Amino acid sequence: MTEVPFPMMSEEEPDAEGVVGTWFVNHGETVAAGQVIAEVQVDKVSQDVEAPVGGVMYQLVAEGVGVRQGDPVARID
Amino acid sequence: MNPLNRLDLYKQMVRIRQYESRILQEYHADKKPAWDIGAGLIPGEMHLSAGQEPSAVGVCANLKQGDAITAPHRPHHFALAHGVDMNAMTAEIYGRDTGLCHGKGGHMHLFDPEHHFSCSGIIAQGYPVACGQALAFKRTGTDHVAVAVAGEGAANQGAFHESLNLAALWKLPVIFVIEDNDWAISVPRSHSTANASNADRASGYGMPGVRVENNDVEAVFEAAGVAIDRARAGGGPSLIEIHTVRLWGHFEGDAQAYRGADLDTLDARDPIPLYAATLAEIGDLSMDQVASIAADAAAEVDAAITFATSSPFPTADDALLHVFA
Amino acid sequence: MTSTETPTRRITTAKAMAEGIALEMRRDPAVFVMGEDVGAYGGIFGSTTDLFAEFGADRVIDTPISETGFIGAGIGAAVEGLRPVVELMFIDFYGVCMDQITNHMAKIHYESGGNVTVPMVLMAATGGGYSDAAQHSQCLWGTFAHLPGIKVVVPSNPYDAKGLMISAIQDDNPVLYLFHKGAQGLVWMEKNPRSIAHVPEESFTVPIGQAAIARQGTDVTIVTLSLSVQHSLDVAEQLVGEGISVEVIDLRSLVPLDTETVLTSVAKTGRVLVVDEDYRSFGLTGEIAAVIAEHDPTMLKKPFRRLAVPDVPIPYARVLEQAVLPTRDKITDHVKELMS
Repeated sequence: MTEVPFPMMSEEEPDAEGVVGTWFVNHGETVAAGQVIAEVQVDKVSQDVEAPVGGVMYQLVAEGVGVRQGDPVARID
Repeated sequence: MNPLNRLDLYKQMVRIRQYESRILQEYHADKKPAWDIGAGLIPGEMHLSAGQEPSAVGVCANLKQGDAITAPHRPHHFALAHGVDMNAMTAEIYGRDTGLCHGKGGHMHLFDPEHHFSCSGIIAQGYPVACGQALAFKRTGTDHVAVAVAGEGAANQGAFHESLNLAALWKLPVIFVIEDNDWAISVPRSHSTANASNADRASGYGMPGVRVENNDVEAVFEAAGVAIDRARAGGGPSLIEIHTVRLWGHFEGDAQAYRGADLDTLDARDPIPLYAATLAEIGDLSMDQVASIAADAAAEVDAAITFATSSPFPTADDALLHVFA
Repeated sequence: MTSTETPTRRITTAKAMAEGIALEMRRDPAVFVMGEDVGAYGGIFGSTTDLFAEFGADRVIDTPISETGFIGAGIGAAVEGLRPVVELMFIDFYGVCMDQITNHMAKIHYESGGNVTVPMVLMAATGGGYSDAAQHSQCLWGTFAHLPGIKVVVPSNPYDAKGLMISAIQDDNPVLYLFHKGAQGLVWMEKNPRSIAHVPEESFTVPIGQAAIARQGTDVTIVTLSLSVQHSLDVAEQLVGEGISVEVIDLRSLVPLDTETVLTSVAKTGRVLVVDEDYRSFGLTGEIAAVIAEHDPTMLKKPFRRLAVPDVPIPYARVLEQAVLPTRDKITDHVKELMS
């Protein structure tokens, strides 16, 4: 089991909340290592998040809900 | 030329900065945690003028009631410096019925006929309109002038070139102001413009042109004074290019990834603390004054925000009004 | 734990259209991109995402704010055998470059008696719904479809965005490719889930001039395009619960217009609503009405209905803008009235 964290995008504000703007993979779907699973956003900056490993992915947060940087957003079994 | 009033120039710049800072804050406040351009009490695009205060204040200090300004998508500093009512302008930005345009125009389309102020979002297209206003002033025998404001990117648009020729040919009382803040969204001037200075282009079109460096409000004031006096006296158009600085993004939401190391230079180039230091050094500005000027500006801005946020929205049916007179 | 499922790859409409451009640029060295902020910025609405990193400044060119200049340059490059993809940042900026588009790009092939081709794609962002007001929210496909010599394509989803872009680049004619900002799947703008979808990684085409039946139905035909397809599909799903079966035709192209698909559907249902985010009068909705009337007006069980932006500029304040756009509520009301 691997947790995928929300990336540290704002070093000046490590406590800044961000969101998952878009999930590209549905809850329970299979992913390959390196596949883009989400686009996340802190303030105005957005970036893609890749699956670190392959497996079945589960979403831990919904789109648009505040998440702290570093907190897990997905789990891959 | 109006007499130089240093304290007034400083106050005007602080007033604009307070305004832009507050709009920045309010604009983003209800767009969290996900930044959504259409959300919140101030929806849509927002282009703020922090850093470009010297340009507006230096030019407008030479204008009088009845003079016209056409401004681009980044209009707040010129609107405020030219006397547009802060309450009505803010209400328009908040999309209220008490706004300048009853909520129809928003931040990029502020129209104030009382102060002959307008702005629009299509690059350089305010230039021909300012020529028309100048034409009207000349034909009706007034000594009013029109000021056309655009960025350095706009100087590569057809309307810029047509306007300069027309104004020179017909000797129109118009002053073309170019705010060179180095960036047309993400494209630096070096990648868009063959000339080093648009003042050089002016002479090509048959009018005087100057480039003001260092975002210096007093230098802007003086150059604008010469140009405006020339126009009022029937001497025709001029071009003033002002090298200024865009302290924030092109629009709010612009992550400015393209801007690189330029971002690190900005604090040192902020014109307001620099001018405060200049005035303090010659004894024209005390720390108490700095504080009271800031407080006065903050209070005025606060009142404008309150006015706007407590104003009624237009109703859905209003959308069909004002297509025709 | 492992799974034998193949990973599904979903991408945004923006990424899909950029991917279409990238595939063609890899395949054909004659293809290059020009426009404002298309380089490092990736296009203001993501149309050239990742292209600069792969192809560099030589083939992905940031231009000055000189639409007549660089669109004209695209035309010139095309007549000499290159295949430029040129971006007009907002279709609303057409005013500053309309001559190059309609008197040159559109007419050179005809004026030359077929001797000269202009294999160029002109892509532009369209649409409103996020308070960008009158000069930055228009659709205007009706205006361009009206003027002869330009193919006009309007994708509504990621799959079509990629396929239509590849078709457009391969087409030897000038193609105006209009993408709706609200359908790009951007994280910084309210988006419909239909703007994120599975798109095959390989190259594929979607034929220009062919509409798609986005949803089959039997009671009412909605003829529409662009973001309004997504809204119409939402409404159709909702109305299943009320026993109304809605067929949604996604036009995908305006020039050429697939009248056959439209007429077949209207013949089946007898009730038609055209939903168009462009202005109401003298445009697409009137065109569909004419097509039906010319073919056989007796097909209709109920009078023709249209939902478009009334003939007003797009206002800024949210309440005003929502009052003029063809929203889901209004689509629903029209469908129900057709069924009453």
